Amino acid sequence: MLKYLLKRSGIYAVMIFLTTSAGYLLAVSTLQPALLEQERIPRPTPEQVTSSFRLLGLDPTKSPWERYVDWLLAIVTRWDWGRSPNGAYINSEFGDRVWISTRLFLASIILTLIIGVALGVYSAARQYSLQDRAITSYSYLVYIVPAPIAYFLVQLGAININETVGERIFFVTGISTPGIEGGWAQFVDLLAHYAVPTFAITVVGWGTYQIAQRQYLLDNVNADFVRTARAKGLTRNQAIARHALRVSFIPVAQSIAFTIPAIFAGGFFAEKIFAWHGVGSWSIDAIALQDVNAATATLAYGSMIFALGAILADFATTLVDPRVRVQ
Amino acid sequence: MSADAFRTKASRSTAELLHVAAPFSKDAPVLSVRDLNVRFNSENGVVHAVRGVDFDLMPGKTLGIVGESGSGKSVTSLAVMGLLPTTADITGSIRFNGKELLGLSDKAMCHHRGNDIAMIFQDPLSSLTPVFTIGAQIIEALTVHNPGMSKKAKEARAVELLRVVGIPSPKERLKAFPHEFSGGMRQRVMIAIAIANNPRVLVADEPTTALDATIQAQVLEVLHNAQAETGAAVVMITHDLGVVAGMADDIMVMYAGRPVEAGTAEDIYYAPRMPYTMGLLGAVPRVDVAEKSSLVPIEGMPPSLLRIPTGCSFAPRCPLASEECLAGEPELLEVSAVPGSGGHKAACVKADSFDDDIDVRALFSAPPVPVSEFDGVPRAERSKVLELRNVRKHFPLLKGSLIKRQVGTVKAVDGVSFDIREGECFSIVGESGSGKTTTLLEIMEFQPAHDGEITIAGISNKSAGDAKARNAMRKKLQMVFQDPTGALDPRFTVFEVLAEPLENLGTGKAQIRRRILELMKLVGLQPDHVNRFPNQFSGGQRQRIGIARALAVNPRLVVLDEPVSALDVSVQAGVINLLDQLRAELGLSYLLVAHDLSVVRHISNRVAVMYLGKIVEIGDVQRVFGHPRHPYTRALLSAIPVPDPKVERSRERIILHGDLPTPLDAPKGCNFAGRCPVFAALPAAKQEKCLTLEPPLFPVVHHERGAKSETEADLESVDQQFACFFPDGQLDADMLVVHEAGD
Repeated sequence: MLKYLLKRSGIYAVMIFLTTSAGYLLAVSTLQPALLEQERIPRPTPEQVTSSFRLLGLDPTKSPWERYVDWLLAIVTRWDWGRSPNGAYINSEFGDRVWISTRLFLASIILTLIIGVALGVYSAARQYSLQDRAITSYSYLVYIVPAPIAYFLVQLGAININETVGERIFFVTGISTPGIEGGWAQFVDLLAHYAVPTFAITVVGWGTYQIAQRQYLLDNVNADFVRTARAKGLTRNQAIARHALRVSFIPVAQSIAFTIPAIFAGGFFAEKIFAWHGVGSWSIDAIALQDVNAATATLAYGSMIFALGAILADFATTLVDPRVRVQ
Repeated sequence: MSADAFRTKASRSTAELLHVAAPFSKDAPVLSVRDLNVRFNSENGVVHAVRGVDFDLMPGKTLGIVGESGSGKSVTSLAVMGLLPTTADITGSIRFNGKELLGLSDKAMCHHRGNDIAMIFQDPLSSLTPVFTIGAQIIEALTVHNPGMSKKAKEARAVELLRVVGIPSPKERLKAFPHEFSGGMRQRVMIAIAIANNPRVLVADEPTTALDATIQAQVLEVLHNAQAETGAAVVMITHDLGVVAGMADDIMVMYAGRPVEAGTAEDIYYAPRMPYTMGLLGAVPRVDVAEKSSLVPIEGMPPSLLRIPTGCSFAPRCPLASEECLAGEPELLEVSAVPGSGGHKAACVKADSFDDDIDVRALFSAPPVPVSEFDGVPRAERSKVLELRNVRKHFPLLKGSLIKRQVGTVKAVDGVSFDIREGECFSIVGESGSGKTTTLLEIMEFQPAHDGEITIAGISNKSAGDAKARNAMRKKLQMVFQDPTGALDPRFTVFEVLAEPLENLGTGKAQIRRRILELMKLVGLQPDHVNRFPNQFSGGQRQRIGIARALAVNPRLVVLDEPVSALDVSVQAGVINLLDQLRAELGLSYLLVAHDLSVVRHISNRVAVMYLGKIVEIGDVQRVFGHPRHPYTRALLSAIPVPDPKVERSRERIILHGDLPTPLDAPKGCNFAGRCPVFAALPAAKQEKCLTLEPPLFPVVHHERGAKSETEADLESVDQQFACFFPDGQLDADMLVVHEAGD
């Protein structure tokens, strides 16, 4: 197993290297931070821009290939992912952003998975009942409603509550209130900031898992092996819980394993709407700000998260399905 | 399995005795079903799946329920188990030891399921949960009904059970997963689960239909032993009259949801009183009978279950049907004409007018045996339509994802040679994995690059590099496929299906039209049905369309790949008769691949028996089936059950050990040595020869002219060759099984 994982990791490392290199070359030849500098007031001279960029390691006069080699060398030798046009260091910036994204998504993704799978099982066991219809219709509804609209609706709801109560219970944007320190007050402030985004991401997210788990379980409810289990003397519900559920969980486990690393990757809409400046919004901003190094770094990070998800999915499959054996 | 695997009651483990048997009376039925009716609501209306089933199952006895698909036999068994969907409307009474089971809640029923009544299902591949070990699944059955049993005792009992059903090294196998077992082994595990709590009733729903012949024989043997071990009564559900002949004490024949005849096995097989039963018995070819006679075709198809018939449901297909048959459905009444036949019932108004000597063939107007113009010509004088010379197909077994390396070779077909002459039917038989289908594919692909030479009506594959030669070959050779539904495009009308091969050859429009009408008549379909779609025909009719399509271009050779295995018994007979008749009338040759040896014996002139890619015996079908020389042929033939209770109960059968080995593990010498009953009994010195040398095909010779033979070209050779060094060797006693009468 370990050998297999190492092998897969090796293959993914090569893939990440290739996509990142291609991404860098593409970014370096299309993004022109110098043009943005021209819009500053007072307008700097091109020579000033060039020299300030040269200091940041973003020399626009070098060929893309030369810059690529410099960039790669800095990463390999010093683990230095370069600097932004405004002078910020990617490395230090990055750590903060990942931590913000993780805090935003961690609780909601775990809730999404648990609620989604549980509701999937619940609705499959009661196929075509009123509960099943309501739950599944809801899942399809959030499936088709664009996420940003749902987030805004949740925000409006929270504001509504605040207004009705006449007191600010929920914060609809931001991570924390500056200045509040120490113990209980800080904790309450934390909850007030966390509640709205976590709730919004969760209610929109679980639909996918509910639909998948319901479908996979229904595929197995009438399977021959469930009938065998009933013939042994298990009741229908016991047979489904012990036999069908386990088999139907195999594909779901795979998609869950794939999702988990996404916690650290953040999401553009949620971060923008709730004003949590994590990796997701940073990656889009990087392009708007013509920031070659930040754009490439988020790309590399995204590929790594994807590879991690794929490896975890393989691992989860071998864990839950004895038919899959690694050679 | 060896006899000592079955312990006597005295030496049973304590775990086994945990199930305390209730006081069962010898004379009271253990299971009693009265007026069972099952209805389902479907989109098209109410389906009357089972109507008025009555039977009593005595302790330790076996009841066979026989019927075709849709006859209600499986629904009956699921109703007994309480496993029908909740939407089913079930009325009547099902009593176990006098206690009513119908109407019990799922929970209350669970007390009986697996404890008093257990079931074995048809498809062993899907009937075990793939993610749990065999041991866990057996132990679960024990846990449900013996919550107080210790873990150790349960494990011991599971090992015991696996030993009973003949699984080698049972202790280690407890940790194996279902996918690590072959189909036959999984069915053994299913039997082990079913008998885990010593049930009083075992319901077996087509337990061997999905298995190969030799594996079927093994599993039936296990079932027989399991019954002996537990003393359970068995309900055996099957469409195969052969399978129940040896096992069943009583038989119930079902048709369109109703029992139409019931009685002892002897009553049903030797003195049937319902025309459907008679037809069914006449429709099955027999592997043990050499004399050629046409099969009894039952015209038409079973009625729809959506309507309750107003008359006898078999009347539309019955040759004896008259006015009185349509006036109300006949009841299942005791047959009175035969004195002392107590309990023999038939649902036919004319039941009492039949006697034992009734000629079924005349009754159902079976066609006379067709005679081909080639039948009189000696084989050597007829021209060859197909010749295979040393055809090989080896698949390299590769390992590694990026850089592949060969770790072995699968010899799917390994040096096969035979020829087919004009007007002859040549069959290839063997279990799955023996290379029959690969051989067919090699012929159909007809690639010059293939190993070995294939000559079709004078065209060799070595010279068939261009499309023209291949087109010419296609005109000589056509194919009929196993699944008639899958082989016809559902969006094509019959006319389009039949016109396609003709258009390919550039035939004119008017000519195509004429030819299609001719073809429809030829295969026994109504010419005015040409504009219908395949789904408007029954299975048998679809197969006839498939045959018509193959015949459209007037081929010399037709390749038949399991042409009747997807069809019901009564329909199968009609298609076999048609094939027989077409061969005679059109002078066709057939290359038939089939797993049903009875069909093969009925229709073929010559036969080849394949085992792991090699022909082990080849020759005239009567010689090979009548006097088999190779131990594998003998085992294969002995594995086929015969629809005759007396023969079946007394005959000696060879039960091979294990499964067909993967071609990868094929031994160096004789492929069959590992499972061979002769090899097992040979002294070590002779065994050495089998293991190191590969036996070539020896011709069978027969000494007829006695003393004169010294001088002349003495030995007259017979059309039969076999690949075995010791065809006359003793069979290993371990692999021979004879069921004593009353066993």
